[in-house]
Amino acid sequence: MKGTRSTQIHLGLAIVVLASFITGCTSSASTKFFGQTAAPSENVLRYVSGSEPQSLDPQVPTGQPEARVIMAFFDGLVEYHPKSMEAIPAIAESWEVSDDGTEYLFHLRKNATFSNGAPITAGDFVYTFRRALSPELAAENAYLAYYVKYAEPYNSGQSFVRDKNGHFLHQSDLEPGADPAAEPPVKPDNFGADTEFHRKMDEPMRVTVPSDEKSRTALLEKDPKLKAAVAGKESIPITAEDVGYEAIDDHTFRIKLLQPAPYFLGLLAHQYFRVVHPPTVEKFGTQWTKPENIVTSGAYKLEAHKPYDEVIAVKDPTYWDAANVHVDRIEFYPLDEQTTMLNLYKAGRVDATYNHTIPSGWIERVKEFKDEYLLFPEAVIEYYSINTTQAPMNNLKVRQAFALAVDREALAKFRKTVKPLTDFTPVGIFPRYEEARTKVYSGLLAKNNVTPEEWDKRLFDGEKARRLLGEAGFPVQKQGAGWACPTFPFENVSVVYNTSENNKAVAEFLQAQWKQNLGITVPLNNMEWKTFLPSTKALEFKGFARRGWVADYMDPFTFLALFYSAKNDSSTGWHDPRYDKLLDDANKLTDPDARFEKLAEAEFMMMSQQPVVPLSTAGTNWIKKPYVKGLYPNAGTVHAWKFVYIERDPAKWDKNVENIMKDEDPRVEQQIAQLMQSQLNLERSKDLAKNENTAAVE
Amino acid sequence: MLNFILRRLLIIIPMALLVVTVTWGLIRMAPGNFYISERSLPPAVEQNIREKYGLDKPWYQQYGLMMLNIVKLDFGESLRYTGQSVNEIIYRHFPYSATIGLLAYLLALFIGLGAGLLAALRQNSPFDYSSMAFAMLGLSVPNFVLGPVLVLVFSLWLFWLPPARWGGGISSVILPVITLAAIYMAYIARLTRAGMLEVMRSDYIRTARAKGLNERSVLLKHGLRGGIIPVVSFTGPALASLLAGTVVVEKVFAIPGLGNIFIQSVLNRDEPLILGIVAFLSILIMIFNLVVDISYGFLDPRIRYE
Repeated sequence: MKGTRSTQIHLGLAIVVLASFITGCTSSASTKFFGQTAAPSENVLRYVSGSEPQSLDPQVPTGQPEARVIMAFFDGLVEYHPKSMEAIPAIAESWEVSDDGTEYLFHLRKNATFSNGAPITAGDFVYTFRRALSPELAAENAYLAYYVKYAEPYNSGQSFVRDKNGHFLHQSDLEPGADPAAEPPVKPDNFGADTEFHRKMDEPMRVTVPSDEKSRTALLEKDPKLKAAVAGKESIPITAEDVGYEAIDDHTFRIKLLQPAPYFLGLLAHQYFRVVHPPTVEKFGTQWTKPENIVTSGAYKLEAHKPYDEVIAVKDPTYWDAANVHVDRIEFYPLDEQTTMLNLYKAGRVDATYNHTIPSGWIERVKEFKDEYLLFPEAVIEYYSINTTQAPMNNLKVRQAFALAVDREALAKFRKTVKPLTDFTPVGIFPRYEEARTKVYSGLLAKNNVTPEEWDKRLFDGEKARRLLGEAGFPVQKQGAGWACPTFPFENVSVVYNTSENNKAVAEFLQAQWKQNLGITVPLNNMEWKTFLPSTKALEFKGFARRGWVADYMDPFTFLALFYSAKNDSSTGWHDPRYDKLLDDANKLTDPDARFEKLAEAEFMMMSQQPVVPLSTAGTNWIKKPYVKGLYPNAGTVHAWKFVYIERDPAKWDKNVENIMKDEDPRVEQQIAQLMQSQLNLERSKDLAKNENTAAVE
Repeated sequence: MLNFILRRLLIIIPMALLVVTVTWGLIRMAPGNFYISERSLPPAVEQNIREKYGLDKPWYQQYGLMMLNIVKLDFGESLRYTGQSVNEIIYRHFPYSATIGLLAYLLALFIGLGAGLLAALRQNSPFDYSSMAFAMLGLSVPNFVLGPVLVLVFSLWLFWLPPARWGGGISSVILPVITLAAIYMAYIARLTRAGMLEVMRSDYIRTARAKGLNERSVLLKHGLRGGIIPVVSFTGPALASLLAGTVVVEKVFAIPGLGNIFIQSVLNRDEPLILGIVAFLSILIMIFNLVVDISYGFLDPRIRYE
């Protein structure tokens, strides 16, 4: 019996060895392209889009696999620039932003229609945006719209407070010396048409309290001043009509924000803000996205949806920009098995894949195909959250020691697709912010008596790490060739990560680093995702928890906001009201550089407290056939499909895609320029008017 | 006989409900839920979701409601895939798994039985050795190795067959069917061989031979019926699990089958979908077991149902 078993094992092993040998052989045979490469005779794109979409309803799903598919079917006010992801005109042909940065006025194009021929109007956007916030839909992405006035209170079921005379309670009434009976002054801003709704929006912020009796009582108990102000007044539930969305006429749409949010325009290209056809949604309810019911607003119509198999998009000839849609048919394959999709790619049955799809074992080989492999920095970071509420991790020096004891360059080399990270915003994504940050950091460092060299050594500084640990009361001693830290409370520190091969590899790497540099062996635990989430959110972990964060929009704020407010989602237990204030102050600034500097101050404050161990900025890591053009490795891996085209002339195929972001494709550039024209015209005429005004004054 | 079948059929219902109950309890014990994500929802929104799906009710009410729906054979809507009912999902994805599974089953049966039979008849011949060595190989190579090796050879070297996806008709079924069938084929071959060898030495075969029956009818009429009983008891449940879909093969070949969906439903904490598939599969398995038990009676006159 024993013999049989070992024969089995040997045979199995032999096969595995044989298989890897075979693979090895093929890899040494160098060919120009990775597998079968021939441009299709038709304008068809076959794209691996990631796991099966949760829904094709733009307001419902949160994942990137859904975003990629939904972007083909639905258009928004603006579209992502295929390279920079900045907002470019879509259904809105132009827009204006008020001087204080809190109001946006969109001029919609008149020829935009849904797939059933109905015109797309500002009213459809109002419907879509209100629906997206409705508590009944309970969209997980609703927070994206929270900068819109009264969006959050509506979404979370709150009420206004009104006295017997019909006066609403305003936040300014709570300030000392205010007269709650008097109506606060309305400051009309003359931005866009003057309407009753607009005046209401320009009023100071009203007080909102939870509509739910229990939560309201709880809130008022905590805030006696508010309790006194609210006493004897009735609460009026906030409705969708109170949210700052307004259709001035069929083709003019206005949004009022709570406070300036300079990244808001870029956010509007997100699938969450893409327009749906109200009658269809009303008629079919949750069934409206079925192929037989769906009405779309984008460049493509849904031909078929076979879950776990394919989503077929066909060009909509009635789309307003149909003349500039080059691919007639996109076949999305919802696959997430990396080897399977690469096999399909090699066999020439798939033209491109989504991001993070080349397994690390394949990278060395795939990298050789310089016309196909795309590795660019991504607006995604990986870090370890530290539970700062428990000893010994509540000690800053201990946290710093662990952060310093990781050789990030070695980690990046080991991971092959990532870049080392020492702060909390990704490297190479926001160059202008990074510039401002360098400036702010040098000032703050001088103030704190830290040399820039020392600061740069945050990449890895084992010596300082040991010293800090010693200062924290856990001296590190030399032991043989390595180190030992006998007094360290080992039982109180561990690493928890959500189950995945990559996460395991990183955890083991860190474990080795800490052992090597601090003499501390940290145990590793893995958990399945849905178990991991509640446990880390509730800070039920000792020491470290693996986390990643993907940008929602192209602004450093999307990362820094993770630590905003006491109830933040950072899973660290770290919070500082001064940090919140810095972020708020920053967003009030309209000058982008001044704002970035403020944000950098906040980042410095947070990083000085080291609630996280930053590890890396992710890389795009995906592959496309050289004949697929106009598909760029942007920082979010979201693609505006109408820029993509199939090039049949091998001479014009993409070559050396390392430069793909710098090289200009005249066809794509022209298409973007054409779209931008309406916005530039508007800006130019506004500038002209301004100049005339100033001239007149002079 | 009829009594036996009826009794067994009636047992299936409480058994299935028991399986569903245990599964439900296990899901409820696992931490996390279908809507949790990295970003916390506002408490009011979370409350809305809980109300919408009845999660705010006491557990016994939730259990009662779920059971009531299941008795009505309505598993409700998937929590993850909004607007899709569980019945619709099972109805849509089962045929993929069933097609692959049934083809693999037939292939395994055909080749496994044939090879096993021949090996038993020519015991210790080169055919016996080589086929059994092959079977050993089939048993020891897991399908997640066999699948990729087949893909490498037939899809990436020879470009004969698609490496994955359902789309291309018969050609896209060949590799997954072979991958899936291999281990069953090997097992059936070995079981057949062993069963036949044992039966051919038994007294009643000697009697049959002594009566002067020709070797052919000894083998097919008497030998085979007894010899394949172990095969039948193996292939009954095997057929059920083949039809139900196998995760590995469905993943490797990107087949939108039930196995794939089942795993995803667990990862998504999609309770109605998990329960629906569990109920469906448990009934399927119990029915196949029943069929196996009934077929014993036809194969072996010594077995009687009381």
